[in-house]
Amino acid sequence: MTATSDPLRIVIAEDAAIMRDGLTQTLTRRGHDVVAAVADAEALRRAVDEHRPDVAVIDVRMPPTHTDEGLRAAQAIHKDHPGVGVLVFSQYIETQSATELFASAPAGVGYLLKDRVADVSDFIDAIARVAHGGTVLDPEVVRQLLTASRRGDTLAALTPREREVLSLIAQGRSNAAIAAALFISPKVVEKHVANIFDKLGLAPDDNDNRRVIAALRYLES
Amino acid sequence: MSRSRARPGPVPGTSDYAGNVLREVSAWLHDRPGQADALLAVALLVVTAPQLAAGGQESVVNRIAFVVVTVLLVASVVARRRYPVAAFAVVAVIAAAQIVLGVQNGGQAQVFALQPTNADLAILVLLYTLAAYRPRPVSIAGLVACLLGSAVAIARWSPANGPHPADALFAAAAGLGGLTLAAWVLGDSVAYRYRRAYYASLEERAARLEAERDAQARIAAAAERARELQEQRARAVDESAARLRRIERDLHDGAQVRLAALAMTLGEIKENLESSGDDHTLALVGAAHQNAKDTLAELRDLARGIHPPVLDRGLGPALGILAGTSAIPVRLTVAITERPSPAIEAMAYFCAAELLANAAKHSGASRVAVSVREQDSGLSLSVTDDGDGGARLVPGGGLAGLRERVQTVDGRLEVDSPPGGPTIVTIELPRHA
Repeated sequence: MTATSDPLRIVIAEDAAIMRDGLTQTLTRRGHDVVAAVADAEALRRAVDEHRPDVAVIDVRMPPTHTDEGLRAAQAIHKDHPGVGVLVFSQYIETQSATELFASAPAGVGYLLKDRVADVSDFIDAIARVAHGGTVLDPEVVRQLLTASRRGDTLAALTPREREVLSLIAQGRSNAAIAAALFISPKVVEKHVANIFDKLGLAPDDNDNRRVIAALRYLES
Repeated sequence: MSRSRARPGPVPGTSDYAGNVLREVSAWLHDRPGQADALLAVALLVVTAPQLAAGGQESVVNRIAFVVVTVLLVASVVARRRYPVAAFAVVAVIAAAQIVLGVQNGGQAQVFALQPTNADLAILVLLYTLAAYRPRPVSIAGLVACLLGSAVAIARWSPANGPHPADALFAAAAGLGGLTLAAWVLGDSVAYRYRRAYYASLEERAARLEAERDAQARIAAAAERARELQEQRARAVDESAARLRRIERDLHDGAQVRLAALAMTLGEIKENLESSGDDHTLALVGAAHQNAKDTLAELRDLARGIHPPVLDRGLGPALGILAGTSAIPVRLTVAITERPSPAIEAMAYFCAAELLANAAKHSGASRVAVSVREQDSGLSLSVTDDGDGGARLVPGGGLAGLRERVQTVDGRLEVDSPPGGPTIVTIELPRHA
């Protein structure tokens, strides 16, 4: 693989050594610069303060209690260092944590299942998007939100294609990315987006990040 | 001593009418000892009445004294059961006085009032009572007193009749002595029965007390054992929940991590091969990669089935995820202020999971409400669906299995599911196992 044209400075926080080393090597092979790889939330805060990376890749569960240290650290970093993107990896889906994370400014925030590391290019792409201020939400979380939503009736008014587009919107994809994913033209995507927002009664928003929040809020309400 | 027993009535149609009447009368007398004694006293008075009437030439005082002595003798009979010794003493004193002052050979009694009468039969009655109601030493003393008294009376009586033929003396001695002995023996044999019955009842009471004490000791031991078992069970429940958490943790930190790293490596290899033109190897690696990803997902579900990690955050978040992954929309209410023990939280979670799955699979419901509330004794979980109803606790069925699981911590499960719905399943759990 050719090295990426846009090397990122990355901090990794993961308490399992195998995964920490594996991620470091994979990212380095793609030309990125892993400035620090730490195993707990304290070390993470220190590393971010010291290195000011473009993005921090953080496991939700870390010592000492192995419950949600990573999540708390991600929220704190995002507040204290708005320029640093945070991508949170979780072993299991927790829609509550995801929405907590996105509650404030969604720019530069991501929440993914750990399983996603298996698709290397996709997950590196997600890291890059978060580093550049985008929003990333795991498709499985979006699927659960769609299924459990109380807005089932209104959602049923969407065509299947529109549902796909809504799902990708909620995952934080830009129109261009949606077009590429669905093999349609960006213009068609724009039309779908307009229809969706219209049917759901949402105000149209070009900003990719804000519309994630709008979609999430809608689905959760 | 009064004892009442079921009275057999006269058996109709039998020829033993007299025997039946006798049985009735004796039973009646047995049931009313006071009245029986009164009757006996009256009978003695009646028998003595002619002698009372015969002293017409005496002074009024003497006659009154005579009547008083007679009444005293007869009244002792009435008091014989309550105060056997006192009554016997009274009669003995009167009899002694009669012997000294009333028995004369042929002549008038020295004191009119103290002449021997038929009322003296009361002595025999009282000796019998003494033997029946009082211990042997006392009754034998009474017997000896009576025999002595009889001997003295005969000795005083005999000179008046001159040279009696020895048989008349002998007959008098035999008669008096025989009557006295008979009264005593009768009483004693009755006493023997009473004494036997009394000792038997004492033994029975002692045996009963001992049996009670044994039973109490056994109950205390059983209660102690029950408490021990309860503590052991609580420990076992907590330990098993802790063990499941450890298994999940080990899976998460061990197998799941390795698998994720493996999948990541395979993914990289696949991407490297994509531009190589070696489609065969690419296909192989692609298959391996997909396999690894699928295994990751399965392992994640398995771990969640063993112990969902989100449970560590509490029932609220855990049930929230359950609600999120449910096929039917769930309205969730969790109102707990104090977290129950981890084992109980796990049990509540898995019960809710199974009930939600049931509702989705069997009931045809379109909506489910799950609520967890606090109670004095612990917490109450209820799952309500608007489906077809008709759910029942069938032995060997899913709900029965849930109830058994819940009962291991002394919880309860109730089902209210009329045909046509709605179905409400309520589970009560303590705060700790």
